[in-house]
Order: sequence, then C-alpha cells, then structure tokens
Amino acid sequence: MNARIDPILLSVYARTFKSITDEMSISMEQTTRSPILCEAKDYVTGLYDADGNMLEQTENLPILAFSLAPVCKYIKDYFGDEIYPGDVIFHNDVFSLGNQNNDVAAFKPVFYEDKLVAWTAVKGHQADIGGNVAGGYNPNAVEVWQEALRIPPVKVVERGKLRKDVWNLIFANVRLDIVQHDMKAEMGACTVGERRMLELLRKYGVASYETHKQALFDATRKMMEAEIAKIPNGKYSGEGYVYFDGRFVGSKYTIRVDIEVKDKSIKFDYSKTDPQTNGFVNGTFTSSASATILTLLQMVNPDIPHNEGMVQPIEIVIPEGTILNAAYPKATTFGNHLCPPNADAIQRALAPVMPDRVTAGWNNLLASLTTGIDPEKNEKYVDIGFMGLKGGSGAMRGIDGYDHIGMIDASGGVLDQDYEMFEQQTPHRLLKHELLTDSAGAGEWRGGLGVETIFEIGSEDTQLVTFGDGDFEPAFGLFGGKEAGLNFIRLHYPDGQTVVPKNKDLITGVPKGTIYHQVASGGGGYGDPKKRDRKVLAEEIRNGVITPEAAVRDYGYSE
Amino acid sequence: MTLKIGIDVGGTFTDFAVTRDGAEPAIFKSLSTPSDPSIAVVNGLTDIAAAQTPPQTLEAFAATIDTIVHGTTVTTNATLTHTGAKCGLLTTEGVRDALEMRRGIREEQYNNRYTNVKPLVPRYLRACIKGRLDRNGNEVTPLDLDQVRQAIALFKQDGVQAVSICFMNSFANPAHEQAAAKLVRQEMPGAYLSVSTDLLPSIRFYERISTTALNSYVGPKLNHYLDQLVGRLKGIGFHGLLLIMQSNGGVISPQLAREKAALTLLSGPAGGPGAGLFYVKPHNQDKCITTDMGGTSFEASVAVGSPMIKNDGEIARHKIALPMLDIHTIGAGGGSIGWLDEGGMLRMGPQSAGADPGPACYGKGGKLPATTDANVVLGYLDPNYFAGGKMKLDVGAARTAIETHIARPMGLSIEEAAAGMYRVACNNMAQGVREVTIKRGFDPREFPFIPAGGAGPIHSCLICEELEIPLQIVPRESSVLCAFGMLMSELKHDFVRTFVSKLDAVDWKKLTAMVDEMAAEGARQLTEERIPEARRRHDIKFDCRYIKQYHEVSFLVPRDLVAKGDAAAIARAFHAEHNRLYGYSLEAENPPIEIINVRVQSIGFTDKPSYRGDAWAGDDAASAVKGQRSMYIPETKKFAEVPVYDGHKMRFGNRIDGPAMIEQETTAIFVSAAYDCVVDALGSFAIYRKGREDLVQSCFAREEATA
Repeated sequence: MNARIDPILLSVYARTFKSITDEMSISMEQTTRSPILCEAKDYVTGLYDADGNMLEQTENLPILAFSLAPVCKYIKDYFGDEIYPGDVIFHNDVFSLGNQNNDVAAFKPVFYEDKLVAWTAVKGHQADIGGNVAGGYNPNAVEVWQEALRIPPVKVVERGKLRKDVWNLIFANVRLDIVQHDMKAEMGACTVGERRMLELLRKYGVASYETHKQALFDATRKMMEAEIAKIPNGKYSGEGYVYFDGRFVGSKYTIRVDIEVKDKSIKFDYSKTDPQTNGFVNGTFTSSASATILTLLQMVNPDIPHNEGMVQPIEIVIPEGTILNAAYPKATTFGNHLCPPNADAIQRALAPVMPDRVTAGWNNLLASLTTGIDPEKNEKYVDIGFMGLKGGSGAMRGIDGYDHIGMIDASGGVLDQDYEMFEQQTPHRLLKHELLTDSAGAGEWRGGLGVETIFEIGSEDTQLVTFGDGDFEPAFGLFGGKEAGLNFIRLHYPDGQTVVPKNKDLITGVPKGTIYHQVASGGGGYGDPKKRDRKVLAEEIRNGVITPEAAVRDYGYSE
Repeated sequence: MTLKIGIDVGGTFTDFAVTRDGAEPAIFKSLSTPSDPSIAVVNGLTDIAAAQTPPQTLEAFAATIDTIVHGTTVTTNATLTHTGAKCGLLTTEGVRDALEMRRGIREEQYNNRYTNVKPLVPRYLRACIKGRLDRNGNEVTPLDLDQVRQAIALFKQDGVQAVSICFMNSFANPAHEQAAAKLVRQEMPGAYLSVSTDLLPSIRFYERISTTALNSYVGPKLNHYLDQLVGRLKGIGFHGLLLIMQSNGGVISPQLAREKAALTLLSGPAGGPGAGLFYVKPHNQDKCITTDMGGTSFEASVAVGSPMIKNDGEIARHKIALPMLDIHTIGAGGGSIGWLDEGGMLRMGPQSAGADPGPACYGKGGKLPATTDANVVLGYLDPNYFAGGKMKLDVGAARTAIETHIARPMGLSIEEAAAGMYRVACNNMAQGVREVTIKRGFDPREFPFIPAGGAGPIHSCLICEELEIPLQIVPRESSVLCAFGMLMSELKHDFVRTFVSKLDAVDWKKLTAMVDEMAAEGARQLTEERIPEARRRHDIKFDCRYIKQYHEVSFLVPRDLVAKGDAAAIARAFHAEHNRLYGYSLEAENPPIEIINVRVQSIGFTDKPSYRGDAWAGDDAASAVKGQRSMYIPETKKFAEVPVYDGHKMRFGNRIDGPAMIEQETTAIFVSAAYDCVVDALGSFAIYRKGREDLVQSCFAREEATA
C-alpha cells in the first residue's frame, strides 16, 4: 500500500494544502457580513487528515490557530462510525475543547472512494451566540449558560440533507439573523476546501496522499525540532499578571509558566498558575494552549509549515481549575484575552536564554463596544472600536516594536475601521486617531507607538461595554529597555462629569455629545536607551513621535 | 497606411512591436538604459528604421510614424525602490498618521522582524489643518487658511517637490480641498499637486489618502521622464500621436498622465491581457488567461470579453484605489533560485538571480541554481541557440550548481534534481494562476492559456496539466506580448463619485445628473485626444452591497436602466454578479441593497492592427524540422530524443505531435507528450491536449473548405 516518497511531490502537496486553506479564507472574507469576520478577519480555515491531524491552516487571527485540530479529533471519536459523506457538524462547546463560546466551527468530512480521508473546517467569531448579553461579552457571567448557547458536536447536515429542526433549534437561540448567513459562509468555505481536496486525491491517489502526508509531518517536525534545539537545555520560569476579574475591584491573578527544554522538545507547565476566578475572566485549555503556541511561533523561523509536525515537539500542561483552564461550568468568554499575560510570562522566562528571539512586552488589549440608535437614520448601530484598541508591540534586539499593531493574539491581523466608513455606520464624529507621542517604551530599540482615539458620541442613551486590561501594568522593557505607558478609556459627559469605566464594565445611558477618549499605549523597549542611534532619535524628534524633553530624560539625548 | 509602434520598457530589454495596416507585426528588442529609458527608445527606433526595405534614416522613418503607444515602469520602479519625490501633505487635524498606520496591518503575523513600510510623506511634512465636514459634506468647522499658509511655508523651506491634499469627508464636498489647492497653486507654482477629490472622489479615507500620496510621490519623476521622451521624439522628427499605457489597460495622453501619474503604476504589464483576447479569436473564444514569465516574476491575469479590473490594488504595500487590471504577480521566473528549507524540502524562489549575475549557466559568476539552469539540464534550452545564438550558455556551470545545492543534499541525480526544480517552479506558477481564476470564481479549464515571455512556453504544458487546461495559444509575438498589446488598447478615462443610497430609494434625477457630469468630463478629454463622437462609449458601473455587508461588488449597469430608474432590473444584475463571484446570492431573501459608488468609464476606440489572412499551408510540418535533441519528458519522467522545429518556418495548418520542441529566435516552446500542436490562422502555435482536435477546428477545416 505504501507509495514511494517522491521528494518533489512532497513540495507539491505542501504548497497545494496551503493554497486550499487560503482559498477557503478568501471565500469567508468576501461572503461574511459581520464586521468581526469580514473586516477584522476573526476566523481560521483548516484542513485535517482522517484522524484530525492538522495538514495546513490559514490563521488570520493566531489565537484561533490551534483550536480546531483537538475538536476535530473529538468529533471523530464522538460520532465514530456514524460519519457520512455530505455531513456538516457545528461545534462551539468550551467544555469539549472549544476555545471561546462565540467561536463557532463548521466541520465537513471528506470522503474519497467511500473512505473518510480528511476534514475541512472553519471557525469564526460569530456576532452573537445567545446568552445574557448581545455579542457575548457579559462581565457579570459566572457560568457558561449566562454566556452562550452550548453547541457540543451537532450534525446540521446529514448525508447532504439539512436537518431543519436542528438548524432552527440553534438559531432560535441566537439574536441576530446575520449569524445564520455567516454560518452558511463557513459551510460554503468548507465545501470549497472539500472540492480542492478531492481534485488532489483524484490526481495522485489515496496511497500517495497518506505516505506523503506522513513525510510532510516528519519534515516539519524536524524543522521545529531544529529550532527548539537552538534553545539551551534547562528549566526557565516566568510570570504574567491579570488585573480585575470583572467582579472584585483590586483582584489580581498570576500566570506562572515553567518551561523545560530538553534537546528537541519543549514543555510548558502551568501547574503553579493561580486558580480560576468566579467571573468570566477564565481561559479554556484550547485558548490557553493556542496562546502558548503562537508566542513560541513568533520566536522561531516564520516559514515552518503549520501542520501536525510543527506541534509534535511541544508539550503543554495546564491543570483544570486554574485561570487558564477553568472547570465546568465556569464562565470563560474573556479567555482569548488572557493571551497577552500568558505571552508576557513566556517572554520573561525565555529572555535570558533567547535574547535574540524574545520581544519586550506588548501593549495589552483594552477594548470597547458602543451601541445605540443613530438619530439621523433612526437605525440601531453596533461598533467594536477596533481603531482605538491597537497599541504598540514590544521591541526585540535589532528591531523597534511595530507601531499601532494591537494585541499579540492578533499581531496586526485586525484592522482599523476606515474613518469615513466609521462616520457612515455610527453617528459618532472622529476627532483624533493618531500615534501617541512618547508612548513607546524607551530602549536601544524602542517599543511600538500606541494610539490616541477621541470621538464625539452621536446617540442618546448609548451603551458602552469595556473588556480588557493594561490599565494597571504597562508593557515591560527588557535588558535595560523601559516600560511603556498605561491604557485608559475616559468619558467626558456634556455636563462636565468624567466617567472612567473599569476595564471590564457595562455602562448605560451615555448621553449624546459625550467625548470618548481612549489611549492604547506603546510596547516595551529593549536594551539601554542611551545606546539608541542618535540619528534615528533626531529624526523622531523632528517627526514629533518623541518630545525633546522625553529624549533628554529617557535617552540622555543632547544635540 | 497607418504605422503604429508599441514600446514596452522593461528592466533588461525594451520591446518594440511594429504594425502597418495589413502587414505581419515585426518584433524588435533593444537593451534598456535605466538611467534615461528614452535613450533605448531612440536606439530601438534607429534599428527599426534600418531594418525597413529599403533601409531608412531615423529621421525619415520617424516622420512616418502615426502613433506610438508607450508603457513605462518609471513610476513602478520609483515606488519599489523608494526613490520618489520629496512630498508634503495637507490633511485634516486629528488624522495625521492615517497614511503611515495603514489601518494597523502587519502582513506577516508570526514575523516580529517584519517592519512597517516607510511612509510616502514623513510625519513632519504631514500638516494638520483645522476645518471639518460632517459625513454628509456639511461644514462643521471652516477651513483655516492660515494653517495652510504656514504649511506651505514649511514645505517651501524644506524643498518639497510635490504636495498632496486629502481632507475627511471630502468625497461628499470638495470645497475645502479646492480652497487649499488654490492657495498651493498660488504660492508653490512649481510644485506637483495632487488633490484627492480630483483623483478619486470616493469614500474610504485611507484608500483615498494613500492613492493621492502615491500620485504625488511618482508625479515629478514621470513628468521628468516624459520631458525627456517627448524631447527626444520631437528631436528625431516624430510628430504623430504619443499615448501612454495606464494601469487599467487603456491609454491616455501624456498630459493626463502628467496630472494623474498614479494611473501609470501598472503601465508596463497592462498591455498583456488585452493582447491575449486578440489571439484567441480564431478559436471562437472571448476569454483567456494571460501569463508573462520574466526573469524574477510571473504575472497572471484573466480576461472575459475584456480584462478583469480591480479597484483595491496595492503596490509595495501601499493601497491604490484607482481601477487597475487584476494582474497577480508572484516571485517565479527564469532567475528564481532553488533551495532546500530546514526540513530538507525543495523550494523555488522568490529570491532571484536576476539578470546579473543571473543563473549559473549565464557564466557571469552566478553559483546558485536557477530555473533556467534546470531548463538547460533538461534539454529545453539549446545552449548554442539562446536568444537566437547571441548568448552561449554554460551547461557545466548549470550542472555544478544543481549538483552542489540540490542533487547531492537530496540524494538525487542531477537530472532528477533539475526535473524537481522544473516541477516545483511550474506548481508555483499554477498556484499563481489559481489566484486570478478559482479565487475569482472562474474555472481555469474553460480558458485558453496564453504563455508570454521568452521562457513561458517551456513551462506552460506542465502548468496546464496541473490546472487541467486543455488549450494553450502561443503567439508569434509572445516574447513582446505587452508591447503588442499596447497597439490594441483603447483610450480609457475612469471617473467615480460616492453616492450612498438604498437602491429602492434612489434619487434618480440626482444620480443621472452625476453620471452625465462624469460622462461630459470623459467626452471633454476624448475631444482633446481627437476621438470623434462615433468612436466613443461611456460605461456605467455601480458598486453595491447587501445592507450590512462590508465589501462591494462592482457591476455594469446599462444606461437605459439608469434613465428609467429601474431598480428591480439593477438589483437582478447585482444578485447575478454576487452569485458568480461568491457562489450564492440573497435574491430569495431579498434584503435591501445599498449603492456606495457610481462609476463611469469613457472609452475612445483607436485603430487596431489588422491581420492579413494567411493561406492554409497544409498539415505537414516536415520542412520545418531542424534536428533533434534529448530532453526530459515529464509524463514518463525519462529523457527521450525529441524533434526540434524551426518555428519561423511553420505555417498555418502545420501539425506536430508531442513531445516536440519549437524554437524561434526569442522563444522556445515545449510541447509535452500529452499535447499536440497546430499553427492557427494568426500564425500562433495552438497546443491542445491529445484527442481534443475539437478545440482547434479552425486550423483543420480549411482542407475540406478549399477542396
């Protein structure tokens, strides 16, 4: 049965898998309606073998990257021999390996000559999936049912036939119609992938595919092992911090990672991490493991293909009951946003042994969502303030941080709203959206700059939801580099009152004419600021991204 | 008798296609002169004059040229190499950094060493001006002209060559921009000026400011170049019509190109797709995939009736929202270097050996194995007949490079390694073709495939095999296809206005007035370009979307539907196009449809080269055989002796069974074992899958017809 391995055909397979998941991704971008999907591209498309091993993925938002393969394996075991050609299976359940309730996946088995040979899958952040609060961010949730409708593996299509009753049961529990359309878009993208996969199998046959798939995993595993082997053997520990669990003001939690590098393998052990919270600030195993992997991936060769071979040398231990892996039936919607402190812990742990590969701290996410009625159009609007939430990345040796990139779990994959579209789609008027002077952590290589956003709220009785962090602890510096500034959101009401929402909050009745003011600060600096290139500094002073006073104070600059 | 010359300035060669009414086009190439590309233009014209029968002097010949259509890479190169003008920008207070932030994207998410692009205008020359319009274009705060004056003073003091103006919501009301522009014209009469609403009066601030800044960035360079070119052409006595190729596949006058320099950012390759359509006509087709394989890049595009257009292009990671041909470029060419990644897998490109040192076989000191080296080892290139014998290829150097870097580390023979390189390169190019076909909702199998560039037809059989494409057309002019395509181009002027409205609540009177205004502007420009009314057309397009969607679909709307205000018929056209592009429409659900932009393209039809109909010359190609050579057959993965034909001797109707090699001075065509070839009525080599004679009927039918 084993076909001979053709090293050339191997490259063809690798390239074709990649183009299949890219094509699925484009299909999603062009057809979905929720801005979270089509503008922010909060979804991932993937191809898996019959056993759920990752063949390739296109990860627009890295935090979703490693959350599909475990579910695929789970689904296969769940349905056993009741998987048929033409099936489509939905899943979001965080207590059967989902990462976040709103991230709803569609899986489609691929059959060739009556045999299950692969899966195509898409997972996207849906605009609503039931629960107490529209959009899912419910800072008052204490258990999963207050957050979302749970969807364990469910067949919505069996042997090509839509199960109308099941479909209606699901969408009777979802507020917005566009979610149905966007789930249809996920199914469409799965079909696009399935067609391409069948073309490939018709051309080369199953035996060739099976053999080369294994060879591809092996080649990729070798690449990853070679990267890990560059890290000296040993045990390294680091911490990251989470501020405010949405319930108790002043609460603080610590993520502790112990990393063990042994030749070609690496183990991340989170056993000493703090226990879970009583609120919604909890991770799931999958969201936390994704955070770990994406942070590691930023430290290795970015050309390594994303398949099962890449993750084989990585072991991750996260005990249930910790803030990174909450036990049933805890609330977990905030879990994806525990990525920044998790990444902080890893960067801090590895900095001494990988000084060329780690970055200083990235600006943590602080986001807001406004909803209300546009008085001119008398229509409801919902706006996630993407442009306001994107701070700077941490510097690394030899490279300044990236300005206005946003949190590490998106790494520049989420885009700002276009300013004029923002004013068309909301009643707000943008007053300022600019790089924030002096916001970067100083260093021989500075952090990325943050941004300042000011707009005038144009609707009466506006509702504001905040979620995030970064207003207690700034992005840290490394090797003598300085920390950056803090995030904040402030509301200046027309009556002169100033309201400062907590970092996880829900505020109603915000009046028209209120000035919304947000800062997403910069990333941390790397290395001694005194050593920064003076020509570059002079240029930055001229460009006004650093004031002369700060240049003197932080860099010891003199003309 | 009309004499028309298409000139395409490339990195290494400047290509010429010369046509006279009724005569077969002639091909010329001269070495490019990057420091002043107009020198190569004159050098080439000198060669062409000397090649006339009887030979003519340059001046005598130049006086007889009616039209020159010119494609230039001056603006493209300035952008790619960061050598554009020193620019200043006037923008609205509060949004100073939109140009630099690029909506906060980092294209490579896992790569922390990936840095942002250098902004086209440095921050200190981006001046913030008080003055604000609301989303409907109503003034909220008046424009502060004193701040404009201060900015101008700074620009002058700093030696700024070009100024851009882009204010918030100006698409709805250009008054502030025009007031600022007036001041700039007064105070800085020598500066190049770009006003966003003159260039692109449509919504989306980032797209508009980026396009405007690009226009200023490349404007002064293009003007300088056009000065040189026009001066030289005048100097040799040319007094015909000079037209400049623009990115949308049409041509414009040099004057318009000077004002809207960003229209030429894709001027070089824009001639190709239109030319492809010309060559598929004998086979009763009106669509094709045109590809062009150069030294470092491979370009692919699709045409259905006319070349596909996109409104959201990018150059060097800068957005450009002017309509341009949808040409997809990947890093794959003759110079692409083969290498093994850390997992030991073979990859090709995107690094390229370029023209200097070039592939190892060029013998100019290149040591790394490139695609061309593999072609030499596989027998596809005759080392003694490269570029018609003008350049000898070093087979030993090619073999050594492949052995050292690919064969030995992979445990393969040199031939196996070369075959692998060839195959991976073809697979990369096939993926590039997928980008413009499958990803746009087209099935590539339904399209004839046109390979251009000297090395393109060596790889096209395997690319087509991969994509299951049954028919390829290799034109005689395939090595200068873009230059030839320029001769086929029409004058084209694009206009756009933002008109946000639900389709069932449109103020049709207002919309019609807007369309008429754009068409009148197009007519005015066509009049200046001496195009009579009978040879004009004004096409209307709407950009629409389902309410709450974010991406618009652009589609053609017949004029009478606009005049009648027939919203239902327009909605049907929108549903149909949405369905074609994305596999579904919401016609049954019938949600509201929103118009965002209205576009007009004014077209002036130019004279085309006409072809003398060749007489059918019989199917026997034996007289064109010039020998045989051992080469690699991908289907059997073995080398075999294969007949080599002299392409210049092949005539309409001549047939060849694959595998075979056809050589012309500037092109080698490999017909693999799965294909056969026949020469069509235009002299092109039609390569079809064995057994698919039905695709090339017109090449055989003559036998019965004349009997």
